[in-house]
Amino acid sequence: MLEGAELYFNVDHGYLEGLVRGCKAGLLTERDYVNLVQCETLEDLKIHLQTTDYGNFLANQTNPLTVSKIDTEMRKKLCSEFEYFRNHSLEPLSTFFTYMTCSYMIDNVILLMNGALQKKSVKEILVKCHPLGRFTEMEAVNIAETPSDLFNAVLIETPLAPFFQDCMSENILDELNIELLRNKLYKSYLEAFYKFCKNHGDVTAEIMCPILEFEADRRAFIITLNSFGTELSKEERETLFPTCGKLHPEGLRLLAQAEDFEQMKRVAEHYGVYKPLFEAVGDGSGGKTLEDVFYEHEVQMNVLAFNRQFHYGVFYAYTKLKEQEMRNIVWIAECISQRHRTKINNYIPIL
Amino acid sequence: MGSMFRSEEVALVQLFLPTAAAYTCVSQLGELGLVEFRDLNASVSAFQRRFVMDVRRCEELEKTFTFLQEEVWRAGLALSPPEGALPAPPPRDLLRIQEETDRLAQELRDVRGNQQTLRAQLHQLQLHEAVLGQGHCPPLVATDTDRSSERTPLLQDPRGPHQDLRVNFVAGAVEPHKAAALERLLWRACRGFLIASFRETEQPLQDPVTGEPATWMTFLISYWGEQIGQKILKITNCFHCHVFPFEEQEEARHAALQQLQQQSHELLEVLGETERFLSQVLGRVQRLLPPWQVQIHKMKAVYLALNQCSVSATHKCLIAEAWCAARDLPTLQQALQDSSSEAGVSAVVHRIPCRDMPPTLVRTNRFTASFQGIVDAYGVGRYQEVNPAPYTIVTFPFLFAVMFGDVGHGLLMFLFALAMVLAENRPAVKTAQNEIWRTFFGGRYLLLLMGLFSVYTGFIYNECFSRATVIFRSGWNVSAMVDQSGWSDEFLAQHPLLTLDPNVSGVFRGPYPFGIDPVWSLAVNHLSFLNSFKMKMSVILGVTHMAFGVVLGVFNHLHFRQPYRLLLETLPELVFLLGLFGYLVFLVFYKWLCYTSASAASAPSILIHFINMFLFSRSPTNRPLFTGQEMVQSALVVLALAMVPVLLLGTPLFLFRQHRRRSRKRPTGRQLDEDQTGLLDASNPSEAAWGSDEEKAGCPGPEEEAEFVPSEVVMHQAIHTIEFCLGCISNTASYLRLWALSLAHAQLSEVLWAMVMRTGLRMGNKIGVMAVVLVPIFAAFAVLTVAILLVMEGLSAFLHALRLHWVEFQNKFYSGTGYKLSPFSFAVEE
Repeated sequence: MLEGAELYFNVDHGYLEGLVRGCKAGLLTERDYVNLVQCETLEDLKIHLQTTDYGNFLANQTNPLTVSKIDTEMRKKLCSEFEYFRNHSLEPLSTFFTYMTCSYMIDNVILLMNGALQKKSVKEILVKCHPLGRFTEMEAVNIAETPSDLFNAVLIETPLAPFFQDCMSENILDELNIELLRNKLYKSYLEAFYKFCKNHGDVTAEIMCPILEFEADRRAFIITLNSFGTELSKEERETLFPTCGKLHPEGLRLLAQAEDFEQMKRVAEHYGVYKPLFEAVGDGSGGKTLEDVFYEHEVQMNVLAFNRQFHYGVFYAYTKLKEQEMRNIVWIAECISQRHRTKINNYIPIL
Repeated sequence: MGSMFRSEEVALVQLFLPTAAAYTCVSQLGELGLVEFRDLNASVSAFQRRFVMDVRRCEELEKTFTFLQEEVWRAGLALSPPEGALPAPPPRDLLRIQEETDRLAQELRDVRGNQQTLRAQLHQLQLHEAVLGQGHCPPLVATDTDRSSERTPLLQDPRGPHQDLRVNFVAGAVEPHKAAALERLLWRACRGFLIASFRETEQPLQDPVTGEPATWMTFLISYWGEQIGQKILKITNCFHCHVFPFEEQEEARHAALQQLQQQSHELLEVLGETERFLSQVLGRVQRLLPPWQVQIHKMKAVYLALNQCSVSATHKCLIAEAWCAARDLPTLQQALQDSSSEAGVSAVVHRIPCRDMPPTLVRTNRFTASFQGIVDAYGVGRYQEVNPAPYTIVTFPFLFAVMFGDVGHGLLMFLFALAMVLAENRPAVKTAQNEIWRTFFGGRYLLLLMGLFSVYTGFIYNECFSRATVIFRSGWNVSAMVDQSGWSDEFLAQHPLLTLDPNVSGVFRGPYPFGIDPVWSLAVNHLSFLNSFKMKMSVILGVTHMAFGVVLGVFNHLHFRQPYRLLLETLPELVFLLGLFGYLVFLVFYKWLCYTSASAASAPSILIHFINMFLFSRSPTNRPLFTGQEMVQSALVVLALAMVPVLLLGTPLFLFRQHRRRSRKRPTGRQLDEDQTGLLDASNPSEAAWGSDEEKAGCPGPEEEAEFVPSEVVMHQAIHTIEFCLGCISNTASYLRLWALSLAHAQLSEVLWAMVMRTGLRMGNKIGVMAVVLVPIFAAFAVLTVAILLVMEGLSAFLHALRLHWVEFQNKFYSGTGYKLSPFSFAVEE
């Protein structure tokens, strides 16, 4: 890609960029959250959401209103927006969008396989699948018994196919293997996405690479955290880390050796970006969880992405911000519906 | 018309509505559309207000209405708008409507559900029929005969004896867009241990949900082995295929087919019965729904308005604040009394003082509306500011016509507008939905005047479709010229161009009575003559228009009681404008009046004089127009430049002095204020109850007036001064667009005539040829005239006239920073 996206970016993507910026302006503000938190019932929440950009999205829901209905409708709304962007996009933005959906597709595939393992019906699980990651062959996932089966029969035609190269094995799919599969898939996905953005160059690379680097490192941390006390060996653990982050290669090697949270924290202290994050994590009783801290940092990066123009990062950032907003609303709605108001303020504000 | 001059007086009124009658009062106000409610509960969020429950119930109802409406639309029926006046229903009716709606919706849902299930069954049956009747020939035979030579041995060898091999079938139907993916997935997942044949159904089947016809793919899969069968079933499930039992024997299949056909026949009859019932229910919905929709909509609006009221301390009445035109106050009083008489306690209105800027209300009729629209598009006027609309009624069409001047084109436009005006009461014209048409229709009176004025300027330019008309005798006499100059035949033959000299007696008999002499259309210097005329005319019109704008400012200053601005702003502005450009206009007139054709050769150039005026110099070749010209010019320039500092510093210094004087007096003044407010509070106990909210609503009590910030005033005035002084020059130049566009219009129509009509007229001399040729030629001429000269040129002239009004005229006096009074009204916006 040539330098100087400013000159011709708008020819192909100007409309969509304008649109996404407009959508971003419709995100809930601090004031909206303050109002939402005050709501007594879900009906109140609905009335308040009606005054925002969500509009009448719950108008056709029959009573009683539940959190999951709100969640589904919000997802539908995001999905329709995303579909609109995607249908109006040109190359290479459409590839970018495909990459964005891949992560949801991976989640869905894994969800379905787990469901098949627990002998749940496909319909039941389909409801839980993220609408952004839907694809036709998705439901056939449960016919596969080994990863290579899965690849050869089901996923070969989907955009996920290239990520499968590293995870071909003849192992029977049990719970652990599925989890490994997910992480391996995610690793190759992130690396491929990173490569795509890097090759694209320009502002897109400048914005997207840090975001993806952070995403990769976050996964590494989370994998490490989750693998404490499991039968996962350290060598295996290391193979799961995405290698496109800032931690690569030294940090990842150290992380692979870490045995508890303190050691992990010590690894993070070598990195200026992650040191303050780990320091912000509260201990056990109060304070924030590591996950929340990561979310906050992600939100911050995504908001900053809007400060630059002429790049694809805004689409990614918008989707992520919207997802965060949805998580916030769901959190608030859960707190309201369960009458558990003490923690209602633990949402992550979008600045 | 008097109300057009400035916006009407609008008062802030307080309405005390007894709780029992509040609903009827507000609904009556909605019918009348007199007042604009102010939100007294701005600090209370939407779901904590008083009538939230009622609003919510209305919304529930509206949701059901939407459902009913969609059902009606889906059945391909239309809802007619309700007729007659439908007042907001009394609150107790809500329950009745709600019950009836719910019953209707439930009924509809039931019937619709029945219909859906029946249709789904029918669909299933039909698919099954299609699968069976498609005549997928038993594939085993086909494969055996076709492929035995190559494939069979390979398949058979590892599986041992041939007899064990049992072929099973799965038959079903799938949506066509999934067929290819299904086939590929089957192949990959089962490694080819199957043979699948796909075929499209012969006739499209009705989709059970949407009712639209769609073709399906039927398939027949034959496979070997149990495990493969399991897999195939899973895959077909995940593709949402319909799988049907498939008999292997031909006869059994036939029997099944016949049974299916019989079943579907029966089902069709039941379905027909259901659909008849459905249409009955829909008919009822069609009849009842529209009035309900209007009524509930009104009811919701009333509750939303009531939500903006605050409650009095005793809970006996609601207090509303509203803007209302002072002229409508008696009507308002009467309406409130009438509608609250039932409740025993009457509603009360009283005016309260307010320091907020009231909204702007200019009443228009269908004639003035479009002109007011032009002004409002720039900015709604400040409260009681001079409204430029009444002047726009004349100046806008006139400036347009100056650019568009042509009798023929003007007449066409006038007739078009006239047709619209005459047909304006026809319902078909009124309700037309075409956006372009509505734009034209909305501006029909504007178009009418524009056409009329264009006819007038067309006569002045003496152009009708670019041809000159000879109404009076021309002022020039060619024969006199020929007689006096003694042109020989030889001379005439050699010179195609001859000069008419007005100085020769008898040649120029005097000016043409009205407009341009038609003889000019024959002259080669036609254009330079017209250019000089039009350019001067543009400057004269421009300076007059701008000076008029400055003078209108006087009415603003007088009305807002700022007499100092007369002296410190209007006067310097007028002197500056008239001293420089008014003088230019004077020069033009002077030269027109004082120089005859005899002295034309030695006439001085105004342009050079004007340039020299600013340079304080003189050019020897350019004679002065009158004695003492240089003195006058120098004096004017000095005077005009002297006005700049006055304009720049006058107002800020005056305000500063005023501020100083006032701040010295302040201590006593404040005490007095406090006394007064104390008294007010005591006399009005209810005020305390809503006082806090009222302040939030944006009406600060008697507070100090806006802080005086010298730097801001100076900055503002500096910007205004620079804008005005530079604007005078650039705006005057801007009026030259009148000349440019009228020139362009004239030339374009001239070209059109010369290139199309004249060529056409020259083509044949015989009557027959002429008649045949002229039909398409005239058609082309007519189409091009309308498309280019009327529509395109008309739009461009309109645009420029708009600009001249918005920028050049209105910035001299019009601030346009107000907001419109938008009364609470049930009336539908036209």
